[in-house]
Amino acid sequence: MPALNKLYRDYRDRVAFHVVYIEEAHPIDAWQVSDNKKDAVLVASTKTADERDKVANVCVVKLGIELPALIDEPDNRVERAYTAWPDRLYVINRDGTIAYKSAAGPFGFKPEDVEAALKRILPAPVPVAH
Amino acid sequence: MKKWLLRGAALIIVCYLALFSTVMAAMLQTPERFGAFMKHMPPALVWATLPAPRMWLWARKGTLAEGERAPDFNLRTAKDRHRRVALSSYEGQRPVVLVFGSYT
Repeated sequence: MPALNKLYRDYRDRVAFHVVYIEEAHPIDAWQVSDNKKDAVLVASTKTADERDKVANVCVVKLGIELPALIDEPDNRVERAYTAWPDRLYVINRDGTIAYKSAAGPFGFKPEDVEAALKRILPAPVPVAH
Repeated sequence: MKKWLLRGAALIIVCYLALFSTVMAAMLQTPERFGAFMKHMPPALVWATLPAPRMWLWARKGTLAEGERAPDFNLRTAKDRHRRVALSSYEGQRPVVLVFGSYT
C-alpha cells in the first residue's frame, strides 16, 4: 500500500485513482490464514451493503489508504466483471479502454507495473525552459 | 518386487493428478466457493506439492484484455454512501487507476 499511496501523490493531478473494496479474501467464516490470525485481522465475509461499508472504512483506516475508495455491490458484480479477487490492478485509458491489467493477485499485484503503464500513456512532461 | 514398485509409482501419479485437477477445478469456481474449499485443505498440501501460483494465475486470467473497453460501473464511495462514482465519468477526461482488494 505505501507504493500505491506514493503513486497516488505523484500522479493525482493527472490521473484518477480508486481503491475498489471487494469481497474479503480471508474472512473468519471461510478460508482464514494464519498471518491474519497473528495480526488479529479478523473479519467476517461482508454480504450486505452495510457490512461492506463498515469493513471498507476500517480497511481504509487500518491500511492507511489515501486513495478514494469505492465499494463493490453485495452481488460482487464489479469483482466478477474484472476477475478482481483477491486483488488486482488495472489502468484505464482516457478513452475507456484497458491500458494495463495485472495478473491475478496476490502473485500478480505489482504497483511498479502501474507506474510503467502511466509513464507510457501520459504525454511526456514539457521540459522546463530556463 | 518390480511390479509393486510400478504399482506404487502409478498410485502416486494417480493421486497427484487427482489432487491437481481437484484444486484446479476449485480455483475455477467463484471466490466464495474456492474459499470454502481451501478452508478444508491443509495449506502445505496445495502450496508445497502443486505449482499452485502458476495454476492460480491461469485459473484467474479472466476475460478482459488490454485494449478492450473496461466494463463500466457505478459504485458508492466509502466516505459518503450517498455519493456514487461511475467509471465512465472519467472518459475523455483522464486515465484511471483501479486497485481492487479487501482488508484480509
